[in-house]
Amino acid sequence: MSQLLEDLKIHNAQYVEAFNAGDFEALDAFYTDEAVAVWEPGQPLTGQARRDYQREFLASSPKISTETRQAFVTGDTALLIVDWVIDTVDEDGEPERLTGTGVDVLRRGEDGVWRYAVDDPYGQE
Amino acid sequence: MAFDFSTDFDPAHPDLTDDTWTQNEIFLQAFNSGDGTLFDSLYRQDAISNFSGRPLTGADRLAFFKEFLAAKPALKAEVTHSYVAGDVALVGVKYSIDTTGENGEPVHLEGVCTDVLRRGADGRWLMAIDRPVAATGLVAEQSAS
Repeated sequence: MSQLLEDLKIHNAQYVEAFNAGDFEALDAFYTDEAVAVWEPGQPLTGQARRDYQREFLASSPKISTETRQAFVTGDTALLIVDWVIDTVDEDGEPERLTGTGVDVLRRGEDGVWRYAVDDPYGQE
Repeated sequence: MAFDFSTDFDPAHPDLTDDTWTQNEIFLQAFNSGDGTLFDSLYRQDAISNFSGRPLTGADRLAFFKEFLAAKPALKAEVTHSYVAGDVALVGVKYSIDTTGENGEPVHLEGVCTDVLRRGADGRWLMAIDRPVAATGLVAEQSAS
């Protein structure tokens, strides 16, 4: 169990690093093929639509920091409750700070890598 | 033991499916049956339940369900959102529970719950993780001590 939690910490650190580097390809590797992302509340995105949204979002060089509040890990499936802050710019180029508490479901692949299956950043609201 | 449920499901091999209405129906029927063993069969062996206010799995989870459901708490629930991603699903539920306290007094609990379901190798969908979002968990009186 502790090893799984350790793996999840590493996953999170690498995810944050890829996000803050604006590295879309690296970030996308942390999502399963079927992943569902709900970056706009009530509007789940999958597949190419999810990738397009994320690529565009990263284009303005947002910076994220996260703090995991709770982690429930059962074998190859995990539920994380994560506080996050993203500093980005709005449509007019003005600094904008987004915050929330995410509800994330992760799956561990056969290669041992944890990936987001459901990324619901406003899931706790 | 005989079961008389309006939605068909095989108590020996339950399948919550990836359909939110079916999931909720089976979950409610198993919970409201008062049969902790039946309810526990909706969970994977290594599933984590937080109904008690702390994470329980395996035999501890079963023992808690048996004790908790013995008082025949009445659960009502509706699904607020559901995201299915391959063999895993995240489901949001709004619930209320009417039960009786230690001294026979009526107790009303409510909140929202986040459930993670997994489709197993045999194709059946079962509970992997539940997480009621209430400060005290589902058994407020007991867990407060």
